[in-house]
Amino acid sequence: MNKLYRGLARPYQIWLIILVFIPLLAMVLISISNYNASLSLSEVQITFADWDLLFQHQTLVAFKNSLVYASLTTIISFVLGYFVAYQIKQSRIKNKFIILTIIILPMWSNLILRTEGLLNIMEENNILKSIIGFSLLGNIAGTPFAVLFGLVFTYMPFMILPIYTALEKIDISLEEASQDLGVTPFKTFWKVIFPLSLKGVVTGSIMVFLPTMAGFAIPKILSKGNIVLIGNIIDQKFLYTTFNDGSLLAVVILIVILGSLLIITRFDKEGETLL
Amino acid sequence: MTEKRIDYPVATLEEYGYRETPAYVKKIIKVLKSVLTYLVIFFLYLSIIVIAIQSLNSSRVMSAFDHVSFQWYPNILNEPELMTAIKNTFLVSSIATVVATILGTFFAIGLYSLEKKRRQQWMLMNNVPILNADIVTGFSLMLMFRLLMPLFPNIFGLFTLVMAHLFFTIPYVILNVMPKLKETDPNLMDAALDLGVRPFKAMLKVLVPAIKAGIFAGMLMALTMSIDDFVISYFNTGAGFDNLSVWIYGVIGRRELTPSVYAFSTLLTLFTLVGLVLYETLKNNKKKGKLWLRK
Amino acid sequence: MVKKVKKILIVLAIALIATFLNACQTGPTLRLLNWGEYLNPEVVDLFEEEYGIRVIQSIADSNELFYSKIKSQTTAYDLVIPSDYMVEKMVDEDMLIELDYELLPNFDNVTYMDGVNQIYASMAATTLTRTGESVDYTDYAVPYFWGTFGIIYNNRVDGLEEALNENGWDVYFDSENYFPTASRGMYDVAQFAYAAALMYLGENPNDYNTTLLNDAKTAIEGANFSEWGTDTLKRNVESDNLDMAFVYTGDYLDRLYIQLDEGRTIDEIQSDFNIYIPETTMVFIDNMVIPYTATNLDAAHKFINFLLNPEIMALNGESVGYAVTTEEAYDIVVSHIDDEDAFYHNWAYANMTYYNKDREGTFYPLTALPNDDIDAINTMIQQIRTE
Repeated sequence: MNKLYRGLARPYQIWLIILVFIPLLAMVLISISNYNASLSLSEVQITFADWDLLFQHQTLVAFKNSLVYASLTTIISFVLGYFVAYQIKQSRIKNKFIILTIIILPMWSNLILRTEGLLNIMEENNILKSIIGFSLLGNIAGTPFAVLFGLVFTYMPFMILPIYTALEKIDISLEEASQDLGVTPFKTFWKVIFPLSLKGVVTGSIMVFLPTMAGFAIPKILSKGNIVLIGNIIDQKFLYTTFNDGSLLAVVILIVILGSLLIITRFDKEGETLL
Repeated sequence: MTEKRIDYPVATLEEYGYRETPAYVKKIIKVLKSVLTYLVIFFLYLSIIVIAIQSLNSSRVMSAFDHVSFQWYPNILNEPELMTAIKNTFLVSSIATVVATILGTFFAIGLYSLEKKRRQQWMLMNNVPILNADIVTGFSLMLMFRLLMPLFPNIFGLFTLVMAHLFFTIPYVILNVMPKLKETDPNLMDAALDLGVRPFKAMLKVLVPAIKAGIFAGMLMALTMSIDDFVISYFNTGAGFDNLSVWIYGVIGRRELTPSVYAFSTLLTLFTLVGLVLYETLKNNKKKGKLWLRK
Repeated sequence: MVKKVKKILIVLAIALIATFLNACQTGPTLRLLNWGEYLNPEVVDLFEEEYGIRVIQSIADSNELFYSKIKSQTTAYDLVIPSDYMVEKMVDEDMLIELDYELLPNFDNVTYMDGVNQIYASMAATTLTRTGESVDYTDYAVPYFWGTFGIIYNNRVDGLEEALNENGWDVYFDSENYFPTASRGMYDVAQFAYAAALMYLGENPNDYNTTLLNDAKTAIEGANFSEWGTDTLKRNVESDNLDMAFVYTGDYLDRLYIQLDEGRTIDEIQSDFNIYIPETTMVFIDNMVIPYTATNLDAAHKFINFLLNPEIMALNGESVGYAVTTEEAYDIVVSHIDDEDAFYHNWAYANMTYYNKDREGTFYPLTALPNDDIDAINTMIQQIRTE
């Protein structure tokens, strides 16, 4: 792209340095200190005393839970979301932006109301049961399945949207050409369409994976507090002003995820799929 | 020229290994596909359906349905705190979305024109606001905005709230625009520039139309993130300027939510849906403009 | 493009005007930081009318958020309504301004409820870490509402009501010997769980040491909680999805008033689900305090004085449903027992039943434990939940 437009990035770079880089640096510093709100600044010291937090049982379990739920959510959202995005592309509806708005519309309602609504119908006795006479989802409140269900159907719009935008650009004649050459529809999809939509898949996966990894409200409500994710712990540490512990965990998550994103970019021959 | 007819054996499609799928199988697959699509969309809307049912319930007991009643809808107007929260939410989210979409598009173009390595580094930074735990983001933004307080003592309120929302909405716009930028033909811009079109105009007339699907998706996502944010908003608001999520969380801490909140959620969804359908029908009737975002 | 730029400019201009209007409302204001739906709008109207002071309210959902909001100084709040232990913490960190009782003439005409005085006495027993002194918290705080905690229970479990009344905490915590199949819920606040476990063990819920921490852990594991929730607990007991939970008595009353609205009678509701308030239980008190950021001390005092007026306090209680803190206001509430209006009758009845001023018992407000202890308690609960 033309160098002429580099100037446009400048304000954002400054913005990122002020609002991301400096706080990030501060977080790293806080994570190696004993800082919390009730200490005055003169008492703050550099210490690694709280780093055993990283190896405590509940932290490890929470990390594992976050990874497992975020990965599963991303995979399931990808499979179902890709399917739906593909169907929308093939549908005859002309104005597909309307469809996309419809897909994302549920997210405009408050997350707590939606999640408690889901919890409501996952209970044994619920509002839907009092109308239709049976439990639609069964009595699953508090189970891992409930959490996964909630996560998938909350974040899936974030998967559908970028995949659709990627699919939408693909020239229909490519598909026709492939079919004319006698390639089976499945092979056409796998060899032609899918690779071309990969950028959308990657964007969608990032947008589903990151919020699920760091979030906590949905698992907390739908597991009835029985499943602890790393987001819960960070949130609690900050709420009770144990800033050093909270920062430490937040920094570790950031390093792990940004590091893995970076590694993927390095090893990716094209180097373009991810970023 | 003489035509010599040679009797080559003509291979059929079947001999190439092509097999026609029987019509009924195709039909079944088609039906299955649409069933699955509708099922997914139904599940996406399941929580909204529950909220809608709760809003129509005459009883405030949310786990059992009594009878249909519309009383909670007009009652929205009788809840001054709820009304203020709704107004604040609309104000903040609309400003934040418009500004984030415009700035995010420019920034994405700027970042895209950097060298690849550079760009990758900045795109990593761009992911931080999305990835970081909300409470960490909220806290650090608040601390940074506080540095401005000696200059502008009453800064906390609408202004800081919009700035905070820009902070986490712009990355979503960039994330959506970037893949589209990579798909554009670089020659296109060069051609425009070679023809003497001024850079800014070239960007608006050539580049922006080519990436508008990404811009639109980014805008949708920015609005979505902004309209329902709680934690970051909480730390960065002030002077009583609370949005709807802050209000909802504040109420469930000690008290019971009025079902009018459910009524409002339902109205928001319904109005948007009806508006979209109306728009579509009107547009089809007029047979004007093929694309929604036409200039 | 030009059109677009114009549109943007218009939107921005509107926004700026809105900010401007927001900041430049004329006349004195009172900036109040409060829980949601915790102040009757009628009271606000009366106050604004009488003093010409506009009330600007911000909302938060936990004491911890109140604390960080004040500490951050982003808004100069004149009045905040935190609970007991947070008042202790705030006084300890020198975040509150002493009240000027000269400006609170209504104080001379009221008597705090016995329970309220008990709470203040118990709070005064903890000394400040800053100076080592004990503090009379009434120097800083005037009670707003208060209430007990109890065990909300579902009467679908046969014999549960009798067992609770007879054996109290044991029934809730000892799931091996009492109702092993009944489901139990706990508030999703680690210190609540810890305090409840200590009361079951016969200890002071505000003590802390590692032995107690381990005992509490064993007790909580023994209860085998199936749900850690907040607002969902009361609804799940109400809807037959949960059998017992440790909640605010106000949580039960919220559901009670809602069901009364549906036209059910108190007897019917009580035979469905009820709340057992143990003799030794946790209590909370929300207090009006003035943070050091306050710019309008005069308005803050006027507001506190206004709410000390028994009529106003009763009016406020009418829409909030927690227990009023002065005997005079309580008398007004219970004087409605013969009211023909069902709402007022039920309201008076509920207050006499669940917040009775003559209730005997030991009330423990939570105390502000040191950060490290709170952290250890939080960690202990997380360990239980990740096992």
